[in-house]
Amino acid sequence: MRTLILLLTFVLLSVNNAFAAVGCDLSDPDRDVKRLFPESTGYKTEYVTIEERGGQELAGQIEAKLGEALDSFYETLDVPYAFYRVLKGKEVVGYVHGVNQKGQYGGMQLILATDLHGKILEFYYQKISSPEAKQFRDKNFTRNFTGLTLEDFLALTIPKGSQGVEIQDPSENSQKDFLATLRGVKKNLILLDEFVLGNNSSSVLQEGGNNNADN
Amino acid sequence: MNRSVITGKRMSKVYHLPAEDIYAVNNIDLDIHEGDYVAIMGPSGSGKTTLLDILGCMDSLSSGELKVLGFDVSGKKEDELVKIRRGHIGFVFQEFLLIPTLTALENVEIPLHFARKNVKRAECIDLLGKVGLKHRINHLPKQLSGGEKQRVAIARALMASPKILIADEPTGNLDTKNSQEIFNVFQKLNQEGLTIIVATHDEQLGKQARRILHLKDGKICS
Amino acid sequence: MNLVSLSYKNLIRKKIRTGLTVGGVAIAVSVLVSLMGFDKGYQRGLKSDIDKMGYQLLVTAKGCPYEAATLMLQGGGGLRYMEQEVYSKIIQDSRIDKVTPQLVHTVADPDKNDGQGGMMLFMGIHPSLLELKPWMEYKMGGWFSSETALEVIMGYEAAELEQRVVGDQIYVPGIDQVLTVVGIFKRTGTQDDGIIFVPIQTARDLFKLDNKLTGIGIKLKQIDDLVDFQEDLYNEPGIQVISMAQVQGTIYNLISSARVMTNSIALIAVVIAVIGVINTILMSVFERTKEIGVMRALGASRLDIFKIIWFETVMICFIGGIFGNILAFLGGHLVEQLVRGVIPYVPSGQLIYITAPLVFSSFLGAVAMGLMAGIYPAIWASSLRPVEAVRGSE
Repeated sequence: MRTLILLLTFVLLSVNNAFAAVGCDLSDPDRDVKRLFPESTGYKTEYVTIEERGGQELAGQIEAKLGEALDSFYETLDVPYAFYRVLKGKEVVGYVHGVNQKGQYGGMQLILATDLHGKILEFYYQKISSPEAKQFRDKNFTRNFTGLTLEDFLALTIPKGSQGVEIQDPSENSQKDFLATLRGVKKNLILLDEFVLGNNSSSVLQEGGNNNADN
Repeated sequence: MNRSVITGKRMSKVYHLPAEDIYAVNNIDLDIHEGDYVAIMGPSGSGKTTLLDILGCMDSLSSGELKVLGFDVSGKKEDELVKIRRGHIGFVFQEFLLIPTLTALENVEIPLHFARKNVKRAECIDLLGKVGLKHRINHLPKQLSGGEKQRVAIARALMASPKILIADEPTGNLDTKNSQEIFNVFQKLNQEGLTIIVATHDEQLGKQARRILHLKDGKICS
Repeated sequence: MNLVSLSYKNLIRKKIRTGLTVGGVAIAVSVLVSLMGFDKGYQRGLKSDIDKMGYQLLVTAKGCPYEAATLMLQGGGGLRYMEQEVYSKIIQDSRIDKVTPQLVHTVADPDKNDGQGGMMLFMGIHPSLLELKPWMEYKMGGWFSSETALEVIMGYEAAELEQRVVGDQIYVPGIDQVLTVVGIFKRTGTQDDGIIFVPIQTARDLFKLDNKLTGIGIKLKQIDDLVDFQEDLYNEPGIQVISMAQVQGTIYNLISSARVMTNSIALIAVVIAVIGVINTILMSVFERTKEIGVMRALGASRLDIFKIIWFETVMICFIGGIFGNILAFLGGHLVEQLVRGVIPYVPSGQLIYITAPLVFSSFLGAVAMGLMAGIYPAIWASSLRPVEAVRGSE
């Protein structure tokens, strides 16, 4: 029997790989939500697809806001997007949501923690494949996203550049991954706006304007 | 003179109790003829029910001889007694003992199943009509009055066309009006030639019989 | 109205009691059907998984498998290697129908799992792999452009995770190498879906494993030669041979203790159900003593009474059998989830496999259970003396 352990290990390891998520779930929701919202007492998970919320028409609106087409292989209408409503008692105090984004050398998993108005509280890479992954994961880079809203990203036209967002590319030779990150975060905020905040990007724009004025 | 349907000689039934032997039926001679209407009367514990059970082939004798419809039943086992009961003897009990889940009609049909005879629904309905219950055939026992229940029980007892009808206190649980209905049914059946043996406390019912046997301590007094 | 409908009407007289008894039988039957379905499904799934490995024998290097497994879990290479010569020698054997060399290598990826690190599984392969696994078809693209190309073909799930299409690049951490995706396989439902394939020579070059192999998959012309062939290879130094039938047997043995436990639970459920049925019918018989007496007075034989009571128990068990099967169908998914959580290796595909013969035999079993459970109450009822039954407590 000993001689078979190796083979079993191989089979088991492989099977784990074989059932990777198509959508983008948190790898450990209990731990991750608590880390992002230390005051939270729980969360509710909801899976939403573009197909069930408006189909092709909605996809067109998302593409218009995004400024480019959705990927025909991995951003199809039936991809389930996971939204975690973070609770403190019975009150929702924020959202955590992730998207898969095609990077230059592999898939990225971009996770955002936002407040009730869709303002980014924290951004991080759950997964990134890049020779310069370290630079991208660096807090000095990811913290630049804190405080931004969909309004800040709507002016952004990918892949032309990062106008409208005052964030510098942390890499030397991975500009594609930098732009992919911006696209992924923008897509994530658009989906949050459509699926959770009730498509109030125009009001977000106004409120955002006021906030800026207050600041 | 009609032929004899039941002939008993020196019939005894003894219950052996630890303290003493009880003679429920004590050395009785009895002859009952075809078309007879016999009332067995007497106080409680006088042995009426035991005598009925013996005459109806429900119970066996401790000693003596008994012939029912020409069959010698003394010393016969239950499996043989049931063959005599089936199709020859009908029973009516004080508590009616209808099957509560079956309608009046279904209760009447039951003996035919046990006699392995084809059920002729029309005959069953006619029989219920004969006891005045044609309009109640699809009612369950709980939907019937006491008198109606007893009439269904009589129809059931008659279903297999018995030669002898044995009734144990048939009016014991009924009021005067319902009792009268049962008297009338028995009277009519007897006039049609059915042999009836009834154990009763009811003087009225007793008076209706052609013959009354008074029982005391397992013996016939008159 | 006949004896069967008389029995049925007796049963519905006490609906709650009958319902609970039927429920007990249904649970027992559903547990039995689920477990037998699981047994069937597990064997079938395991066989399918093993068949989909495509070969009957796997030759690997000799060594402590525990050590290798640990190293693999830690993300290192750690696998034992054979020399290419072993392969060259084995392929000379005329009994072989198809043979393919493999070089498995794991690469630690520090950026997986939220920066905690994980593994990427690469497998160096030869075109002969597709002869052994003809069901591996391309969703996009095709085979490598050369034996040493810096290219990959990705399993379906691996491509999905990395969001790759043909023409994209993939980064191999650790060796700081970029490879190009030239093909993506269709979903196979096996472990191959999670693997990144490279030409075997490329794997050797990239991971500095000249002339090395981790496994040789073999399919023989005649399955009857398997034992002899395996015996012959035992004499080769430095290698060990594992037959897939052995793997199947070993995995099946691994869960056999779990099977003993679950079968015991099923047996207990059946015993409880039988006792429940006996109890219900006995209570019902006690309550109906006078009715039984009057039926006897009206000419019912012992056999008639026996049949009435027996029909009742069989009916309870038959209806329980129907509900039990429905329950097993509906609850099979739940049982599957439960089982997946507790046993060491779960094959892909449907785990609870409920077949028509299984359903049929469960009905037969339920009816047999009814027949057995009914014997005692039926005998008891049929041996009542009519006079005592009618007079009851008088």
